[in-house]
Amino acid sequence: MTFLTLSHLEKSFGPTRVVKDFNLTVEQGEFISLLGPSGCGKTTVLRMVAGFETPSSGVIAIDGADMVRLRPNARNIGMVFQAYALFPNLTVAQNVGFGLKVKGTPAKEIAGRVEEMLDLIGLPDLGGRYPFQLSGGQQQRVALARALAPRPRVLLLDEPLSALDAKIRVSLRNEIRAIQRRLGITTIFVTHDQEEALSMSDRIVVMHQGVADQVGTPFEIYNTPATRFVAGFVGTLNTIEAEVKDGATGRVALAGTEVVLHRPLSGDRVTLGLRPEAVRLGQGACELGLSGKITEVDFLGSVIRLRADLGGQSLAFDTFNAAHSVPPRVGETVVLGLNAADLMVIGA
Amino acid sequence: MKRAAAWAILLLGMAYFILPLIGMVEFSLSMKRGIYSLEAYRVVLADPRFRETFTFSVVMALLTIVVGMAIVVPTAFWVRLKMPGLRPYVEFVTLLPLVIPAIVIVFGYIRLYNTSSALPLTGTIFGTNLLLVFGYVTLSLPYMYRAVDTGLRTIDVATLTEAAQSLGAGWVTILARVILPNVLVSVLSGAFVTFAIVMGEFTMAALLNRPAFGPYLQLMGANRAYEPFALATIAFVITWACMGLIQLVTRFSKHDKAAR
Repeated sequence: MTFLTLSHLEKSFGPTRVVKDFNLTVEQGEFISLLGPSGCGKTTVLRMVAGFETPSSGVIAIDGADMVRLRPNARNIGMVFQAYALFPNLTVAQNVGFGLKVKGTPAKEIAGRVEEMLDLIGLPDLGGRYPFQLSGGQQQRVALARALAPRPRVLLLDEPLSALDAKIRVSLRNEIRAIQRRLGITTIFVTHDQEEALSMSDRIVVMHQGVADQVGTPFEIYNTPATRFVAGFVGTLNTIEAEVKDGATGRVALAGTEVVLHRPLSGDRVTLGLRPEAVRLGQGACELGLSGKITEVDFLGSVIRLRADLGGQSLAFDTFNAAHSVPPRVGETVVLGLNAADLMVIGA
Repeated sequence: MKRAAAWAILLLGMAYFILPLIGMVEFSLSMKRGIYSLEAYRVVLADPRFRETFTFSVVMALLTIVVGMAIVVPTAFWVRLKMPGLRPYVEFVTLLPLVIPAIVIVFGYIRLYNTSSALPLTGTIFGTNLLLVFGYVTLSLPYMYRAVDTGLRTIDVATLTEAAQSLGAGWVTILARVILPNVLVSVLSGAFVTFAIVMGEFTMAALLNRPAFGPYLQLMGANRAYEPFALATIAFVITWACMGLIQLVTRFSKHDKAAR
């Protein structure tokens, strides 16, 4: 059942339309990521849900109730900020209990809930410390506990991992997801990091220039991108120009070889997308074998990323590292195997 | 050589400031011929007018701080949060008391609020005292506003406000429990400077005919030899005590030790 509805949401700052006709329905307990580059409008959408920005038009409803005219402090929506935003004058326990104190909750109940929240984030002994005495990761955990303590209806996470170093980011994102699953709280997570969005979300909204380009599961977003932007923004994608030979059957000429895509195509030329991991070194059991010259070899540890030239078109592909097998050298001619089913037709 | 020159300049500067102070204190202790004594201080402290005017000025200073902070803290907060474009203009307005002499302000007050005006504040003692407090608030505005604004600059006002709002806090709670405690050191700095200014202020109190410490200092200076120097020393000690308190408050602010 739909819990949070964003319908025809628009936001303009002066003459600039930052969010354009944004639509989204979120189920209760769902974890949704708003993914996109800086300036795409994802934070503005989040801030409109929180009540910090007023939509130029459109509807924001939680459980059927309109939120647009409600002040931020009356929405019962928890928010975690990129810069932690812990109150420097309050201890960790006082920070976590702040929302409950504002609500007028009895002190005994606050103490119990604070203890519960500190246990949840794995910092049960740090209640007496001040924010400046904590690391970045600990501060963000406390910010999460503070947002969850008053039992909000929706949790908003505004790039909460951006200020942390890589290792802590990975561990904290797993923790956040585990806590969200345990509490079953409806969550909207804003990020520009595709890996975070892919690993944490039930569904992802890919935003581009104020518009939701595609909404789907991480699997759908990665494997069947709806637009050229989504295809390029999420993951690494090779784009290859092919000549359409027969639009009805989807027969195209690709690097001197004819491939049938089994879908109707229009026009003389088509742009095809291919993920690096869909290309094999050597034809093996693949349908197609294309000959190319290696132009780049990047050793990344467990994976080796190579780039080959296929008749003027550049194609990146990955191969796993194996201690006994030497990767091809730059200038070497190799056969690259791929399957027609892995070729995506890239739309506008 | 450079080091020696620096020391020489420093010592010269110190002598320029400290020698007159030594002279003042030395003279205040010389009331009895041939020996140093606290006689001038005893005479001053025994004077009922000293206690009366000193108490009056302390009360006025405290009221000025309360009224001033009640105006300045929400204003500076709001300007920083919602109207950052207005900051230069607000700063300009707060700096005006530095270029407009107190005598101009007080004559303006007298003209606007005299007994034949629509709001005859000067007609009663309470009204005149109220006018004096507002005058003092105006005089201390440059110091108060700058202190509070500097304090607000050290915290992320917008994010802290939004964090508090998302936790259900209204504006009063945000100001009282989030913003004010985090700029308390700055607020107290402004308060102590205000206290020092009000304790020595002469023009407004004299022209509004109120029994403040400033006019009393002037009166003593015109009629006595040693007592004015004792009073000046007392006023000087009060000022420096205020400065010391600013340092003390900064040092003992627990949550303020974070690297910013």
